[in-house]
Amino acid sequence: MNATAGEVLLDVKGIKLSLGGGKILDGVSFQVIDWIREGVTTGQVVSLLGPSGVGKTRLLRIMAGLDAPDAGTVHGRDSKVLEAGSVGVVFQDYPLLRHRTVESNLELAGTIGGLDGAEARKRTRELLDTFGLTERAGFYPAQLSGGQKQRVAIAQQLVVPRQLLLMDEPFSGLDPAALEDVMKLLVDVANLHELNTILVVTHDIRAAMAVSDTVYMLGRDRKEDGKLVPGARVQATYDLVALDLAWKPDVQTLPTFVTLEREIKAKFRTL
Amino acid sequence: MSKLTRAFQPNRVIDSGTTGLIVLFWAGTALLLWSLSPWKTLPTPHEIWKAVGFLWWERGMGPEMFTTLKLIAHAVALTAVLSLGLSYLTVIPFFRPLVAMTSKLRFLGLTGLVFPFTLMTGGGYTLKVALLTFGMTSFFVTSMAQVVIEIPRAEFDHMRVLGSSEARIFWEVVVRGTLDKALDVLRQNLAMGWAMITMVEGISRAEGGVGAMILDQNKHFNLAEVYAILLVILVLGLAMDYGMGVLTNLLCPHAALGRVQR
Repeated sequence: MNATAGEVLLDVKGIKLSLGGGKILDGVSFQVIDWIREGVTTGQVVSLLGPSGVGKTRLLRIMAGLDAPDAGTVHGRDSKVLEAGSVGVVFQDYPLLRHRTVESNLELAGTIGGLDGAEARKRTRELLDTFGLTERAGFYPAQLSGGQKQRVAIAQQLVVPRQLLLMDEPFSGLDPAALEDVMKLLVDVANLHELNTILVVTHDIRAAMAVSDTVYMLGRDRKEDGKLVPGARVQATYDLVALDLAWKPDVQTLPTFVTLEREIKAKFRTL
Repeated sequence: MSKLTRAFQPNRVIDSGTTGLIVLFWAGTALLLWSLSPWKTLPTPHEIWKAVGFLWWERGMGPEMFTTLKLIAHAVALTAVLSLGLSYLTVIPFFRPLVAMTSKLRFLGLTGLVFPFTLMTGGGYTLKVALLTFGMTSFFVTSMAQVVIEIPRAEFDHMRVLGSSEARIFWEVVVRGTLDKALDVLRQNLAMGWAMITMVEGISRAEGGVGAMILDQNKHFNLAEVYAILLVILVLGLAMDYGMGVLTNLLCPHAALGRVQR
């Protein structure tokens, strides 16, 4: 499929972060590009892949505007500096206000985002329907399963349209069937609007490859003696559009996908 | 496994019917033991029941109860306002030492404070309200400030990424998000205040109340009347506790969902 690079949606430049004297991130730089495909009006999914403990969630918090880096910048569309609230974030444990029902959690997101009450209710009803949550509208978060909570958390971030949605480990701890569902959900969310872009932070190589247009691999360098050098940065970029592995429903069965997965796994073990 | 057998197994969940049967069994056993008690200093249930009637009709127990309930309501209302205010202030670093200091005052104890409090308040009803409020506030603040401190950072971040202002975050996460816990803490402190009420009412008896009443009956060694008043204090305390539970369920229906039965 022909695709051309559009504008830059996210520009992460030279992010450095140290905590307690230890280097966590050491010059992380990458860009998320808006790919324009002929005749297709869908969004995209980008993955930031890396082993556990490498600093992925720290980087996500910086990109979300929740934490400030020691050095570096994060800009969004039109070179705007990203602040908390300018991009959607779905955290790993799907925090929701436990004293509000599903419907009320979504409506609150709408009113906080500037919608009036009627607009927020309308948008909430639409999203409940889209995410198959209409029957759970009056439920409290404590009454939901993990999968339902995840859908509510995603829906909440979409009440007010946001072009970039960051997701922290959405595939973590899922059984194979649930994993398939979440992968489909991400693609569906990206496809809800042509401007929707999802950045998934994960350590799940196969799932990341299956849903993404581009995979960035975050990791640490190794010294000659094999020891890890503190401070992660982007070690590799896999352009799945160029490799013709993006936006294909059965991509996981393709030999090129399997070969690339093997290559990424080998690289992953060294980070 | 039969329902009754489960009642004797560790870590089992039993239904409300079985729970009711168990409660009835223990209440009946207690009543039987009480009736058959060989201790002469413990009046029989019948004697106590008669004493309740006597106190109610002859000694004006109704108005005395009202006086006590008014006192505890006043002190609890003041405690709730002061304690919640102080606890919520823990979100502002400047006030944290003040909150910590208030919490530490719980080690002072009430007895030694009667004198300075009398000088400050002039005694009487105001002294009693002040003592009860002080006693409950220092414990309330300790528990509630901990509740506020333990709110996970993720809850604040979640609101921030929605684009919420810090004032809205305070309202949703700190105030509304912990309301069920605040009511639970208030419930515990109400019990604590209620346990202190006879002692506090005894400090200044002029205004009456069941605390003054029990001391009066103590003085005359009217055992049945003393136990009758104790029973009334217990029943009123249990009724208030139940009322607090109902209020929590009404205001925070989500609270019960988080409790795990085992």
